[in-house]
Amino acid sequence: MGCFCSKKARQPPGYEDPTVLAAETPFTVNEVEALYELFKKLSSSIVDDGLIHKEEFQLALFRNRNKRNLFADRIFDLFDIKRNGVIEFGEFVRSLGVFHPNAPVADKIAFAFRLYDLRQTGYIERDELKEMVVALLHESNLILSDDVIETIVDKTFRDADNKGDGRIDEEEWKEFVLKNPSLIKNMTLPYLKDITMAFPSFVLSSEVEDSEV
Amino acid sequence: MPSNLNAFDIISFSPGFDLSGLFEENDRKKEVRFTSRQPASTIISKLRDIAKRLKLKIDKKDGGLLKMEGLKEGRKGVLSIDAEIFEVTPNFHLVEVKKSSGDTLEFQKIMKQDMRPALKDIVWTWQGEQQQQEQQDLQPSHVPQLQVVSPPQDS
Repeated sequence: MGCFCSKKARQPPGYEDPTVLAAETPFTVNEVEALYELFKKLSSSIVDDGLIHKEEFQLALFRNRNKRNLFADRIFDLFDIKRNGVIEFGEFVRSLGVFHPNAPVADKIAFAFRLYDLRQTGYIERDELKEMVVALLHESNLILSDDVIETIVDKTFRDADNKGDGRIDEEEWKEFVLKNPSLIKNMTLPYLKDITMAFPSFVLSSEVEDSEV
Repeated sequence: MPSNLNAFDIISFSPGFDLSGLFEENDRKKEVRFTSRQPASTIISKLRDIAKRLKLKIDKKDGGLLKMEGLKEGRKGVLSIDAEIFEVTPNFHLVEVKKSSGDTLEFQKIMKQDMRPALKDIVWTWQGEQQQQEQQDLQPSHVPQLQVVSPPQDS
């Protein structure tokens, strides 16, 4: 077992032992340590408290701490597993784990469903889908008439809402994704496999060798 | 035939979903998107013309995908660019131009200096950028009729 004695004095709330996190996610211990370096950077960018606040998240994604974005909000909320308004280290690693190329596809499908279920009703309602399309068009400065937007939403619903009840439940979503795998392409981040390459200086001083785990 | 975008495909283009910003230091964009009100055939012709002028080898694949490849090795091997056309409606397409191999800086340079100026007549908007000045004042009557047939209303 690795010893992180030198780090214990500075552990923020929500910190979890890398060996525990490695056991419960697709990451190796070295990869979790590399993620900790990234986490430290992100969580200290505005408020140095070892927690990622919404503004720090926005700063990291958009290089603009004040940029509001519906989809980034959804991602932040899902990463904030405890729903206490901040992303802690353990939450960060566990959530990113779903984006790992080796994570189970079922987890990715489920995560995407919760992402799109804006009001967390357990269904993706037609107005939620329309709201997301309108938000995307607006943020991209693309203009489509309401007729066209309605047509797109209608067609998507016809394809996905097999039970025809005006909303997409999790089962329908799974079937829809299996027919259209590109729907969850955002749910995989290929460079998570090379995360230790991004932080080579840390890996050299790592106290835990993968072979010991 | 270009592939059709469903609503979830459109949503997935949001930069809010792109977590690569958490990992990458700089804006090393490997892809750009633009919309066009031209039919697919016009867009493809235009891309072919540009590829020819830039001396890129062109390979048209099924489903609205055009692969373009440089003929000489750059800093990180041969630069390959994919242009994929998605249909929103028959007169409204979204085109994604992305680097598939080679140096990202070379890709960005060729986009900025060569492709973007050459694409000007068919581009309506570049994703994330303000529309051209003359289109910002469009009154509804100036919007061209989109050939959309409304589906029968199910209640």
